[in-house]
Amino acid sequence: MPGLSRIVVGLVLATALLASVTAAGADDALAPSDDVLTRSRGHLHFPGSRRERLNIQGVVEAEILRPVLEAFHQRFPQITLNYRDASLGPRPTPDRIPPNVDLLMSSAMAQQYRLANAGLARPLGDGAINPDWPQDARWRNELIGLTHESLVMVYRRELADIAPPPADHAGLLALLTQQREALRGRVVTYNPARSPTGFMAVAQDVARSQEAWALFDAMGDTDTRLQDTTADMLDGLIKGRYLIGYNLIGSYARRVVREHPELALQVPTDYALALQRLALIPASAPHPETARRFLRFITSSEGQQIMTTQTPLGSPLLIRRASAEHDESLAPIALTPGLLALIDPLKREAVLDRWQTIFGRHGAFPPQAVKGDVE
Amino acid sequence: MKPSASLHRRLLGGLSLILLLICSLLLLQSWHSARRSADRAHDRLLTSAAQVMSDHVSWRDNRLWFDVPASALNMLAPQGDERVFYTLVDHAGHPISGNADLAALTKALPAPGTFEAFSATLDGLSLRVGALGARLTGWHHREPYTLLVAHTLEARRAMALQLFRDSSLRLIGIVMLAVAGLLITLRLALSPLEHLRVRLRARAAHDLSSIDVRVPRELEELLAALNALLTRQRQVRIHEQRFIGDASHQLRTPLAGIAASAELALRSHDAARWQQALQEIQDGTHRATRLAEQLLSLTRLDSPEAPLTRHPVALETLAREQVLRLLSAADRCGIDLGLIDPCPAMSVNADAWQIEEALSNLIDNALRHARSQITVGIDAATRTLYVEDDGPGISAEAQTDALRPFHRCEEQGTGSGLGLAIADGVARAHGGHIVMRHTSEGHFMIGLHLPEEHS
Repeated sequence: MPGLSRIVVGLVLATALLASVTAAGADDALAPSDDVLTRSRGHLHFPGSRRERLNIQGVVEAEILRPVLEAFHQRFPQITLNYRDASLGPRPTPDRIPPNVDLLMSSAMAQQYRLANAGLARPLGDGAINPDWPQDARWRNELIGLTHESLVMVYRRELADIAPPPADHAGLLALLTQQREALRGRVVTYNPARSPTGFMAVAQDVARSQEAWALFDAMGDTDTRLQDTTADMLDGLIKGRYLIGYNLIGSYARRVVREHPELALQVPTDYALALQRLALIPASAPHPETARRFLRFITSSEGQQIMTTQTPLGSPLLIRRASAEHDESLAPIALTPGLLALIDPLKREAVLDRWQTIFGRHGAFPPQAVKGDVE
Repeated sequence: MKPSASLHRRLLGGLSLILLLICSLLLLQSWHSARRSADRAHDRLLTSAAQVMSDHVSWRDNRLWFDVPASALNMLAPQGDERVFYTLVDHAGHPISGNADLAALTKALPAPGTFEAFSATLDGLSLRVGALGARLTGWHHREPYTLLVAHTLEARRAMALQLFRDSSLRLIGIVMLAVAGLLITLRLALSPLEHLRVRLRARAAHDLSSIDVRVPRELEELLAALNALLTRQRQVRIHEQRFIGDASHQLRTPLAGIAASAELALRSHDAARWQQALQEIQDGTHRATRLAEQLLSLTRLDSPEAPLTRHPVALETLAREQVLRLLSAADRCGIDLGLIDPCPAMSVNADAWQIEEALSNLIDNALRHARSQITVGIDAATRTLYVEDDGPGISAEAQTDALRPFHRCEEQGTGSGLGLAIADGVARAHGGHIVMRHTSEGHFMIGLHLPEEHS
C-alpha cells in the first residue's frame, strides 16, 4: 500500500520538524532565572537558595502539577526545581532517557517499564516510598505508580436527543454503527501514533479483545477525530465540536465534568482500563537524592493530600481504600513483563498500520492535522 | 607427668570432626544440587516460554511476523520482578523483533528443533538465556528462525536459597540428633571403665584379692594383667612373711643360747664356768652376727636401690684368696681345702664383693657337709666357678628347694640356711644361675654359672 507508507513518512517528517522547533524553545526556557516561576507553558522553574537541584520530566501539564511542586518547594526551599512537560518538548525516543533528568514520570506505562526492565533506572532507595503504598504500584523498587486512573467516556448531554448514551464498549459500537451520519466528525479519541498513552489504551483494548477493532472500524467510519491529549479532547467537548469522547483520562475528565454540567462522564461498565503514572529515577540522573526526596514527599500523606485536593490526579491510597466498593469493571494495567508485548516493535507497527488503514482511508489521518500537544 | 587426653574427649573429638567433615560435604553438595534444581526448573520455564512464543511466529507480508504473547513474557518472570528480554532472529541472524539483542550473546544459533540454555551478561545484568531454534510450519514457508528469551536470576537464587535452607535445616536436625546420640553412646560405652575405677578406689590397701567384675572384651586383658599382678603381689607377700618368720626364728636360736649360758653362769660361782659361758656367749654372738650379715647381704642382693657396680674380676685370684682365708677354718674341721691345680684363668665383669660373698657361702656350706675334702675350681669352658666336696650332696629333687632361704636339708644343721640363697641371688644378679650335680667320682659339685655380659 504505497499511499500508506507515504503518509507515514510525512508523519515522521512532521514530527521531526515539530520536535526541533519545540526543542529550541525548551532550551530557551532552561536559561537560568531567579524569580520567574513559569518560563513557558510546559516549564516551571523554582529557584532554590542552595546548589541542590532537581529536574523532573513528566507528561502532565505543568499547571496541573503546580500545587504539588509549589508545596515541595516551600518544604525544601534550598532545592532548585525544574519541571518540564515532555509532551511539549522533543519526542522522547523510547529507548533513551534524556540526560540531566532526575525523575521521569509518564503514564506511558509500557515505555517506562521497558526502560526500567533494561536496567536504565536506579533503585528508589530505602524509605523513599510511603510503606503503605500499594504493592501493585511498584516494581523492583525501581518503578512506582504515582497515580491510578481509569480511562472513561465523556459525552455531551444533548447526545441523548439522538440516542441513549452508551454505557459500555458494545453500546458505543452499536451507537456508532446506528448513528453513523449523525455522529460523523463528532467523536474524538486519542491518536495512538502520536501519544504513547493513547497507544497504550488502543493496545490494551486490542489485547483484551480483538472485538476492539470493530469499534475502531466503526470510529473510522464516523470520521472520528484524533487528539493528542485528554485536555484537547475535553476542550473540543466543552466547545461542542465533539459529542462523544472515548478513552479520556478519568482524573482530568472528572474535574472538567464537575465544572461543566453539559458534559457527562461514563465509566464503561464492562471494563475500564486503569493506568498508572509511573515514575523512575534514571540511572543517568545527576541528582538522585533530591529525586528520592521528592518521591518521599509526594507519597507522604501530606503530598497525597495536595494531590487529591488541589490536583485532579488523585491518590492511589484513596483509590485502594475505595476500590472495595468500586465496580469490578476496573481493569488495572498491571506492572508485569506483559507490558513489553504492547510495545513490541513489530506489534506496535502492526497496530499502527491497521489503525492508519482504518483512519487513513477516510482522510481523517492527515499529518498536517497534528498539533503540538502530545500526551 | 601430664595426663594424655581423656578417652571421652578423644572419641568425641574424632567423631565430631568426622561429623563436621561429612556435614560440610553434605552442605556443599546440597547447595550445588539446590542450584542445579533451581536452574533445571527455570530452564524448563525458559523452554516453555520460548515454545509458547514460537506458536505466535508466522509468515505475513513476505516476512517473519511475531505477535509476542504477553502471557509468555509474564511466564518468564515467576516472581514478577525479574527483568525479561526476548529476541526473534531470522535464519541469517538478523533481529526481527524484541527488546534486546540477545542474539549477540550467543556464538552460534541453535539448529531448528533444539533448545539450549546458557548464562550471559547483558549491560552488566546477569542473565540466563534460552535459545529455541524452530521452523515455520506453514505449507509454503518453512523458514528457520530462533527465539531467544532471557531473564535475570532473582527467582533462581530465591529458589536455590529456599531449597538449600530446607535441606540445611534437615541436616542440622540430623546432626543435633547424632551429637546427642553420640554423647549418650560414649557415656554408655565408657561406663565399665568408670565402674572399674570406682571398684579400685574403694579397695582397702591390703586387699590383694582378684578383682571380680564383668568388663567388655577390650578391658578383659587389662583386668587379667591387673589380676596377675595382684596374684604375684600376694605371693611376694606370703614369701616375705615367711622369710621374716624364718629370720626371727633363726635369730632367736643363738639369742636363746646366749640367754641360757648367761643364766647358768650367773647361778654359778665357779670362774671356770663363767669362762665357758663367756665362750658360749661369744660363739652365739658370732652366729647371730653371721646370720645378720647374711640377711643383710640377701636384702642388698634383692634391693633395687643397690645397683651392681661391675668391674673385671679375675676369678682365679679371687678363688685363691678365699681359699687362703678359709684354710684355717677348714683345718679346724679336719677338712682338706684346696684350689684345683692347674687353675685356669677366667675374668668376669662382676661385682667383686658379691662374687666373694657367694663363693665364701658355697665353701662355708661345703665345710659343713664335706667328709674330708673340698676343691674350689674354675671351669672356663662352661664359665663356672665351682666348689666340689665329697659329702653326700643334695639329691636332684631337693635341689630347687635348697636354694630357698632358711631351707636346710637336714633338721639339726649348724648353718643358717641362707648360704645357697645368697649364692643363687648373686648368680641371678649377674644373669647366671646355680649349677649342681654329682661328679663321676661321686663328689657333689655346686657352682656359679656366670655368662658373659651382653650389653
